[in-house]
Amino acid sequence: MRRNLFLYRRCLGAQLRATLEYEGDFWIMSVAALVTQGMGFVFLWAIFRAIPQINGWRFWDVVLIYSLVALTEGIAVLLAQGAWSMAVTVNLGGLDTVLVRPFSPLLQVLSSQIGMNGLGNLVLGGSLFVAALVHVDATWTPVRIATAALVFACAPLVKIGLNILTNCSAFWLKTPWSMFPFAFHTLGELARYPISIYGIGVRLVLSLVLPYAFMSYFPATAVLSLGDAPWLGLLTPVAAVWCLLLGRWAFHRGLSRYESSGS
Amino acid sequence: MTTAVTATGAVPLGRLRREARTYRALGRAAFRSLVAYQTSFLFGLLATTLAAVAMLYLWRSVLAAGTVNGFDWPTMKAYLLVAFVAGSLVSSYVDYRMAGRIQQGDVAMDLVRPVDYQRSRFAEALGFGGYELGTGLVVAAAAAAVFGGVPAPARSSLGLFVVSAALVLPLRFGIVYVSALVVFWTRNYVGVQSARIALVTLFSGGLVPLAFFPGWLQGLAAALPFAGMASTPALLYVGGLAGAAAWRAVAVQAAWTVGLWWLGRAMWRGASRQLTVHGG
Repeated sequence: MRRNLFLYRRCLGAQLRATLEYEGDFWIMSVAALVTQGMGFVFLWAIFRAIPQINGWRFWDVVLIYSLVALTEGIAVLLAQGAWSMAVTVNLGGLDTVLVRPFSPLLQVLSSQIGMNGLGNLVLGGSLFVAALVHVDATWTPVRIATAALVFACAPLVKIGLNILTNCSAFWLKTPWSMFPFAFHTLGELARYPISIYGIGVRLVLSLVLPYAFMSYFPATAVLSLGDAPWLGLLTPVAAVWCLLLGRWAFHRGLSRYESSGS
Repeated sequence: MTTAVTATGAVPLGRLRREARTYRALGRAAFRSLVAYQTSFLFGLLATTLAAVAMLYLWRSVLAAGTVNGFDWPTMKAYLLVAFVAGSLVSSYVDYRMAGRIQQGDVAMDLVRPVDYQRSRFAEALGFGGYELGTGLVVAAAAAAVFGGVPAPARSSLGLFVVSAALVLPLRFGIVYVSALVVFWTRNYVGVQSARIALVTLFSGGLVPLAFFPGWLQGLAAALPFAGMASTPALLYVGGLAGAAAWRAVAVQAAWTVGLWWLGRAMWRGASRQLTVHGG
């Protein structure tokens, strides 16, 4: 465990140095992430100028959900962006190198990249998150603070697990593009709004099949005591473990049918 | 130019026909390449469709209580779906290909080709556009069916709607082309593209009608090229623009279409002078 953590940090550190070599790119990507997330905020603001609430959710409640998706994205991009490289790695037979090294293949893949847009997402997501926590209508009892710390810490793990799971499609599709997992990533972005606005089918998919709602909506319901069943949000740690295990399972299934590229 | 003067009209006409054939071939090749590699395009389309569906659900909840800023639920459905189809145009490949060739230095080959660079890219955009329009309409029709139908276009502004809709592709091409040329200077494409998409999506009124913005921001968005990319045709469809305001919006749209075309020309002149092609 300790060795794994150490190696993971070293791999990411090497990627970080490589990334910062391209300083111009780094700044462009950071600004682009700020603009993209900022536009989402302006969008919410424009809607809530006209109406006070959607299904009982007020402006800052929705901003909290939205900021959790941005924060989660930032963390996933900084700590486990490698998942998105799986399509290319598998297609080119790049896993050969990974498999001969004495370090968990999955952790190697995950730490093989750092997304340059991570910082922008973290900065904007973080600011919105803090602003939302200040403005939401909640009394900060010790229990609530502890709940918030627990569920918000587990939320990004849900996304990382689902990223691994969907990107493992590379082992079956064998194309060098990540279009398939990207489509699911977009599905996950539906969790930027209270999922009570969707039809029952979409809600079931987001809570059970691919529980993207556990990275934002459910943790927020638990902390704000909003929605039909706020207690569901307390299951965030369970969802996080479940998604990570699913991801690991899919990776091992995929690995067993990996046959390199023959070159 | 001298040949055009000496020969009595026959040469320029022949040349024109030859050029038209060249660009038509480019457009056709672009269309075919999209059909040949449908899978990745369709997954991309699935992604934008999901985003559009989220918007429909969101607005259904927002407008459940009644009319807001002049929009009721049926009007909003029609508005969002027209904006979606408009947004699907020039959404793929034109800039992606350009940026790739600029980064790799392959653009040097484009410089020696005996065709106009910008017109060639526009011909390709038209080719891609045929496919994008087709799929966009299918998705919009399906979404309309799922969400209980949309009203027909407003009679009063039907003519202007057709004009405005026809301007969407050249206008979007203008902004996509210009932002792809920026790669000559930044050598980064993903960042420029994602920032452009975010700005265009919001300020074109593709997610939220511009009427929801405060006055100053509405004025700004209406004067910038963005409104013509979704808001103007969508408003004309639902009859949200009438009289002088309608004419003015379409005029702004047309002016930007021409303006961006010439801006693209000027940028290309500057860009091709400072191109770096790495050896290899």
